[in-house]
Amino acid sequence: MIKHVGIVGAGTMGSGIAQVIALSKIDVALYDVNATLQRQGIERIQAELRRGIQKGKLKQEQMTEAMERIRLKTSISDLGHCDLVLEAVVEDLKVKKDLFRHLEQNSKPTTIFATNTSSLSITSIAAGLAKPDRVVGLHFFNPAHIMKLVEVIRGETTGEEVLQSSVEFITHLGKTPVLVKDIPGFIVNRIARPFYGEALRLAGEHVATIEQIDRITRSTGGFAMGPFELMDLIGIDVNLAVTQSMYDQNFGEPRYRPHPIQKRMVESGSLGKKTRRGFYSYEDLKTI
Amino acid sequence: MTTKAKDTVEKPAPRTSQIFILGESPLVEEYAELCAARGYSVTIAWNNPPKIKSRFDTKLIKTSSTIPATVSVGMELTNTDLEAKKQNLKKLDNALPATAPILSSSITVSATEQASWIGQKHRLVGICAFPTFTDKPLVEVAPTVYSPKETLEVVTRFYTSLGKEIELVQDRIGMVLPRILCQLINESVFALQDDIATPRDIDTAMKLGANYPKGPLEWAELIGVRQVFAVLSAIQQDLNEDRYRVSPLLKQMAIAGEWWKS
Repeated sequence: MIKHVGIVGAGTMGSGIAQVIALSKIDVALYDVNATLQRQGIERIQAELRRGIQKGKLKQEQMTEAMERIRLKTSISDLGHCDLVLEAVVEDLKVKKDLFRHLEQNSKPTTIFATNTSSLSITSIAAGLAKPDRVVGLHFFNPAHIMKLVEVIRGETTGEEVLQSSVEFITHLGKTPVLVKDIPGFIVNRIARPFYGEALRLAGEHVATIEQIDRITRSTGGFAMGPFELMDLIGIDVNLAVTQSMYDQNFGEPRYRPHPIQKRMVESGSLGKKTRRGFYSYEDLKTI
Repeated sequence: MTTKAKDTVEKPAPRTSQIFILGESPLVEEYAELCAARGYSVTIAWNNPPKIKSRFDTKLIKTSSTIPATVSVGMELTNTDLEAKKQNLKKLDNALPATAPILSSSITVSATEQASWIGQKHRLVGICAFPTFTDKPLVEVAPTVYSPKETLEVVTRFYTSLGKEIELVQDRIGMVLPRILCQLINESVFALQDDIATPRDIDTAMKLGANYPKGPLEWAELIGVRQVFAVLSAIQQDLNEDRYRVSPLLKQMAIAGEWWKS
């Protein structure tokens, strides 16, 4: 039974996941190497919970109780009591490996080490630890408090009990776990590639315009958003990075090849909504 | 001396116009019901009658192997059997008056290539006919190099009478939606082939993690795996790139006619 969870990394995903866990009545120890980011993480959670109350989705008592369950920690060793530690730090293999090696000195032998990585191999992160079987991938989706899916990734060395406990934990959070093999992209980032890739090819080949492609995918296909407006929302640079990662990790598999259009747009600073210009113009958006 | 009349088509109107639909199941049924519901008189002929016959209102939808000269719109809705498609188009072209347009599915063979099979090239226009999408409010239409403005205006008015808007796209195999969706399905089957997760979990992941309206594998089953395979093979042949190679597992499923449920 997982009663105490440690979260390393108080960024968007780390703080979002901490919020979900605290709301499901489990204690959370939140740590970030940067104290400012840690404080901002807490503020992000508070703002999100307040928004939930305004929308009538949450009661004040739930917010109060959840905030009481989240404790800020100033050292990795303060996570020693946790049954599960999840890291949501920068996507760097060495950083993650070093983190888990350090944690291993400061945890119970039964503590599960979970990684929220989207682009690195769980098996590689686990390699070199004294007990690699404790490492599992728990890939949440943004925004963590809304998206029900969590990909539970089985590394080559992940233990069966760790997997079982992880699935139970994710279910307890009210999320839907799916078991995935440790391969690049897992499920969602892999299978979503053609949604953007083919749309870019169609636009590049002048089969249809960008507006037409979005309109057709929505009105005929039934998708909530077309590929270009979605890229603008997520960030054209973010989409390119994921596509490039899939392409590289699969040694140049042509199905995952990025498109010159997206590279040109990123190079020219057209990243989508966040830069007020992407495939569409957002010039009339007020600055936040 | 009289000059030859310009090759033009006349616009059809519900209640006074007869539609003849040739092709494969379920596209023939989907379009027959759509046109009949809007007041058209519809006659159909299948390449191969489906095992489960639709219970049409025979006042509204008739079956016949001969095409009367009173037909104002011809439709050819075959994606998988291009030999049958060619025969159907020749039949339509020979039987229909010169003023009747032919709307033909062009997702596995270009409308321009189809027009090269018939005498009256000006009247054929490509449409995106893909099973389960016939009831959607938007249709892709591909004019050919032979299509005069008048043919397009007639096709637009025909679709308006069916309650639909059109998007004019380039005459390319796969068009827009079938190409995007079938390559999504292709990737899902490659993932299944690699045994990364169960079929049900693959579908769940795409619905909950990417907000897709349907999981790709269940979607392929609804559309018909043979239809999906036909689109992908046609794109592969047309573009001749490794990127478009079809998953061997998808090919096997199309041959077996059954989908792997789990």
